[in-house]
Amino acid sequence: MNRKITIDPLTRIEGHLSIRVDVEEGKVITAECSGEMFRGFEAILQGRDPMDAQQIMQRICGVCPVAHGIASCMAQEEAYGVAPPQNGQLLRNLIQGSNFLQSHILHFYHLSAVDWIDLAAIQKYEGSDPTLRNLQTWVQTQIETQQLFPLAPLFPRYEGNYADDALTNEMGLKNYVIALEMRALAHQMGAIWCGKLPHAPGLIPGGVTESVTARKVARFRSALKRVATFIDDAYLPDVQRVATAFPDYFEVGRGCGNFLTYGMFGQPTGSEEPTFSPGVLMDGKLQTFHQDQITEDTCYSRFSSPSGIHPSSGASAPDPHKDKAYSWIKAPRYAGQVMEVGPLARVLTAYKRGTDPNLVNLVDKYLEALAVDATALPSVLGRHLSRALEAKIVATKMLEWVEMLAPEEPTNTPFTIPQTGTGAGLTEAARGALGHWLQIRNGKISNYQCVVPTTWNCSPRDDEGNPGATEQALMGTPVNNVENPLEAARVVRSFDPCLACAVH
Amino acid sequence: MHKKCVWREIAKKTSSTRFCVLVLIGTHFEVLFNNSIWGRSSSQRSSIFTKGHLVLQKNISRRDFTKLATALAGSLGLGAAAAPRTATALEKLAAGKPNVLWLQALSCSGCTVSALNSYQPDAIDLITEYMSLLFHSTISSATGSLASSVISETIDQGDFLLVVEGSIPLGMPEACMSGGRPISELIAKAAGRAKAVVAVGTCSSFGGIPAAENNPTGAVSVRDFLDSESIGKPLINLPGCPCHPDWLVGTLVHVTEFGMPSLDDDLRPTMFYSKVVHDQCPRFADYERGNFAESFSDSGCLFKLGCVGARTFSDCIHRRWNGGVNSCIDSGAPCIGCAGKDFAKKADFPLYRIGQEDALVTELAQR
Repeated sequence: MNRKITIDPLTRIEGHLSIRVDVEEGKVITAECSGEMFRGFEAILQGRDPMDAQQIMQRICGVCPVAHGIASCMAQEEAYGVAPPQNGQLLRNLIQGSNFLQSHILHFYHLSAVDWIDLAAIQKYEGSDPTLRNLQTWVQTQIETQQLFPLAPLFPRYEGNYADDALTNEMGLKNYVIALEMRALAHQMGAIWCGKLPHAPGLIPGGVTESVTARKVARFRSALKRVATFIDDAYLPDVQRVATAFPDYFEVGRGCGNFLTYGMFGQPTGSEEPTFSPGVLMDGKLQTFHQDQITEDTCYSRFSSPSGIHPSSGASAPDPHKDKAYSWIKAPRYAGQVMEVGPLARVLTAYKRGTDPNLVNLVDKYLEALAVDATALPSVLGRHLSRALEAKIVATKMLEWVEMLAPEEPTNTPFTIPQTGTGAGLTEAARGALGHWLQIRNGKISNYQCVVPTTWNCSPRDDEGNPGATEQALMGTPVNNVENPLEAARVVRSFDPCLACAVH
Repeated sequence: MHKKCVWREIAKKTSSTRFCVLVLIGTHFEVLFNNSIWGRSSSQRSSIFTKGHLVLQKNISRRDFTKLATALAGSLGLGAAAAPRTATALEKLAAGKPNVLWLQALSCSGCTVSALNSYQPDAIDLITEYMSLLFHSTISSATGSLASSVISETIDQGDFLLVVEGSIPLGMPEACMSGGRPISELIAKAAGRAKAVVAVGTCSSFGGIPAAENNPTGAVSVRDFLDSESIGKPLINLPGCPCHPDWLVGTLVHVTEFGMPSLDDDLRPTMFYSKVVHDQCPRFADYERGNFAESFSDSGCLFKLGCVGARTFSDCIHRRWNGGVNSCIDSGAPCIGCAGKDFAKKADFPLYRIGQEDALVTELAQR
């Protein structure tokens, strides 16, 4: 029997997403992802001073403002013909890296983990860990209040097969609490170099406004070491325990099988080949990335703008009642193909390229421990594992970059804004490939378009009718209880969707 | 006489007078005018009440009270629009922990992420000790139809503070949907049942970037939206892009423990928004000495890079961000007025105005 399930709103992501799936014989046979919120950032930028862009576009998203700020600065730098000095590039890497760490930790613990660990296990806890004891007391006190939803926001939840291993649940819960502190600490690290987070005031074309002092270096390094220790001692082991408890999720949510990354982090002078460089994995083969292969389709999107256009000349005219359209998200394609972006795409591409032995060894070590090979990575668990491994790799690189900072050396390069110019800023947000395309006429912005990670991952069908990456990943997902489609929610959340970004 | 005497209180500050309406649960309503009472501690306030300083004390019905409040608001020059907000009194939350329903409209979740950056109390204390967060889209376990039913049961029960993050797409309701319905419908329904509404961030307080020039959705602030729906509720605006976690936490604690805080004409708590950034600026001495930065590498006052600290009401520069490690101006970035009513609204008023001897500098020199 065919059953239609709607998950709307799909919570514990950024923003407004709805999912509709058809389930037949206990498996998803079709899926639709709808982005449900539109603000019109690209229209708002028209006619503005180009430097407004790196501040306004950061406000697309409060989870990944840094990536938008950097993409916008890079697009402007191409148009202005300017580049940051070494300190400026290093500081940008550290700000971006800090935001990555907060985002990855937030995603695993606060957005995803409660789909796996059994929160109810706290009632059976008999140990003496103060964090768990406090949580247990809170649960008991709340239940006694008899108020509506006493355990909100943690309960109610979908019924389903949560972990039954005490250690997995206890460590997951304890680290849920500690992770709140760790992600705030990671944000604090970023703020040391950019003024505040979210929405970094210190990002400007040509570098950053903040200066380097030994005191700030020491403060940053101290916080970074704490966060790096948490990644090693809690985040990676917790992901490993969840993967051990749910090994079938290496088979669920496999997706489109094509991967795209623009590369990220500017390379300091004199260092080795970057780990995270641009690349395309199509049918298992590594290809060189060419940005002219990107187009955006709008057939099923609520825009009247033409379809199949490169974003440098794209437009975003809203048409909320457009026939056939079911999402505010456009459908970007690379060489006409559906692409997955994000930590999995970055790790797989770097693994395939094989130029960073540390990354290859780390991935191999965890695959071996979990008794799977690299072909299992495109999956729900593979996405979580890639994200956690990437957090470790990024934290390690940050520890190197912070040592390269030079007090009293400049952190930005002066520039002038030309009357006419174009630029593209391609980098990575925590959840995948991010591009900003800028046109300047008469010293003002004449066009601005963004293609954002979740635009790729949660896209609707393209003009050819090919479903987007998350839609494809949902197909084949087993759903045991149509009233509690926990399995489908797990698949969608493994992509770390950000809907404010996807539509903007 | 009363089983439980719970003070409900509204404070509305006008240019010269603070106007407070106090409501006692039961059949007694007591109305008070006082110029200075809200600056005092709660024990001082109690003693004032027991000493019989109440101007008016009558047995009247709620409907009569609404009429009375309207008349009072009118006589104070607050206008008819202020009356419903004045009349809907805010109950002191007996459990000491408010029920919170947090809804997102045209938002970026930045104010949510900022709230999670709260430092002393930290995020876990906020969730477990300072509020009962009945629903928040980014954190709640409940999803899909379960989430929708948590929201609707919360609304039906009443007894909650509504926090709204993001502006409302008044001109294009389809631009923000949740559970198959425009978020504007949900917010209207929730606001109608809420004890009070907290607009967190510049978007919900003043419209923000989604309401900037050339926006396609007709986005408006929560205040304008509630007015358009003729919904009168106590409303607190907490602008800032994002809202500083202290402003949100401080407001929630104040509402819970002391009732409505003193608000300015833009419904901002005066305890956070009564001074302009410039007056508290660590580079004020540079301004006084005429030491202006001409480029982003220079030290000195940031006016000539476009700083609007002189017209932005906020204590962020003094409070600092992310546990106090830094602030915009301390990091060498000019204030772009993200807590201001006009933030990013006009295309012809750029956020940076490098080298510009603009009117602001002149305006300041004349102060």
